[in-house]
Amino acid sequence: MNRQRLLRAELRKLWTTRMPLSFLAVLIVISGINAIAVIYGHDADGTKGFIMTREDQRSLLAFAANTMMMAGLFGAIAVAREYGHHTVIPMFLATPRRSRAMLFQLTAIVLAGAIVGLVGEALTLTAGAISMPIAGQSILITASDVVRLLAAAAITGAAGAALGAGIGAIVRNTGGAVIGAVVILMIVPPIAVQMTNDAASWVPGTLANVLSGVSEEPSPAAAVAALVVWGLVPALAGVAVVRRRDVV
Amino acid sequence: MHTLTIERLTKRYKKKTVVQDLSLEVHPGRVTGFLGPNGAGKSTTMKVLLGLASANEGRATIGGARYRDLSDPGRTVGAVLESNAFHPGRSARSHLLVLADGIGVPVARVDELMELVGLSDARDRNVGAYSLGMRQRLGLAGALLADPPVLVLDEPGNGLDPQGIRWLRDLLRARAKDGGTVFVSSHLMSEVEHLADEIVVIDRGRLVTAGAISDLERQGTLVRTPSPEQLGKIVEAAGGTVQVRPDGALTVRGLAIGEIGDHAHAAHIALHELSPQAGSLEDLFLEWTGGAAPVEAASPREEVPE
Repeated sequence: MNRQRLLRAELRKLWTTRMPLSFLAVLIVISGINAIAVIYGHDADGTKGFIMTREDQRSLLAFAANTMMMAGLFGAIAVAREYGHHTVIPMFLATPRRSRAMLFQLTAIVLAGAIVGLVGEALTLTAGAISMPIAGQSILITASDVVRLLAAAAITGAAGAALGAGIGAIVRNTGGAVIGAVVILMIVPPIAVQMTNDAASWVPGTLANVLSGVSEEPSPAAAVAALVVWGLVPALAGVAVVRRRDVV
Repeated sequence: MHTLTIERLTKRYKKKTVVQDLSLEVHPGRVTGFLGPNGAGKSTTMKVLLGLASANEGRATIGGARYRDLSDPGRTVGAVLESNAFHPGRSARSHLLVLADGIGVPVARVDELMELVGLSDARDRNVGAYSLGMRQRLGLAGALLADPPVLVLDEPGNGLDPQGIRWLRDLLRARAKDGGTVFVSSHLMSEVEHLADEIVVIDRGRLVTAGAISDLERQGTLVRTPSPEQLGKIVEAAGGTVQVRPDGALTVRGLAIGEIGDHAHAAHIALHELSPQAGSLEDLFLEWTGGAAPVEAASPREEVPE
């Protein structure tokens, strides 16, 4: 019962501001851009080659890699704003054992990240379902593809949100947390790949594509494990910092 | 019954000592005012008491236990520490619902509290559109949600209009009368004078004085003599403190009225007046804190670490 109400409090924090609507608006815009690209885009030879096969369509409609970034920003903003607005004070007064308070906050944000992923993927699929027939192309992906794409987006969304939440807890400033999430998800991976080619299999984009069925290396199980590490390490670092730090 | 106890508390932010060797007690059934100029260490002391900041030395307990060790801290202590601890894009009612979920209070209590603090008509408005006074009322509603036996309030009167101040005063006095422990910080002397039964005064992180307001106000003795300098030195040598008033009379503290008379008599100094002095709390405060003028508008974040 105690756990339920703490989780409910954290979830209520997330849905009682405009942030979810703002993210929904961004997701709608992204899926709209996808639809426009499908309708008006073409390959160099003037054909619709990029959506001709089932694999092409699956690749186009895989939103998981974007989800990691979107959910990362969601988690970073959701946690950092708590410090900016001092709403961590009532949170830690209600639950003074901070790791426990953070556990419920992280749980709520991870759930929200998964939802961001699911909604983003659902919108992308919807946009694809509307735009492909308009572009004169039949839909080739199967129900199992759809399930896999949704699952991949949910998993990467959860991992991204945990990562963002950890950065938000460490940085505390919303702008700084957003920059931190962007740096870790968009700047660090290519640098790591340049330093060692082996890293290419373990950056978030590749892992998301594996789960979506677009790439084959590493295995899906290894990809899930790696995404858990991407999310969990910053999240645990955030908990460790928050436990020791004074609230000022 | 919960007594708040601060024992030899020292808190440093990097090299800056914000609270130094501070000891005090706040008893149930009384409203205790916590006075000091801005930056004196009041907010930090309260944050240590509530487990939001850690002490470098000493300890702070509520009913003998650290805040984090209380069996149900959210229902035991109601606190207002920041006048602005709200998300501006969240409605007041949603803010209280979040708090109610966190401490396990039914939804009906939220509406009851909105009514009590006079915010029912604005309950669905975003807090960002609230005035400072409305935010203070909302903060107090949050503190009272679980009807806790202990209230710890940092500058709760900031931004309240005269009616709001009176409402707050009546509310806190009623809580204390019912056996609650009420610990209220303020830099507004007039506010505390009419609100608190006891006061604790700190300055630069150190305890200056503590006690019942009525006793503290009576502490001074007014002395008129043709030899103020000579008597002043004798009194100070005997352990008293002397303040020269603009009219040349002396205000002596730290010695009983009879002792002052005896010292004057022994030194063959004539006395034209020797009487207990009831000074205003504001005068006393200025004296206790080295003449530091109280700042009328408190900074919402009183002590920021270096």
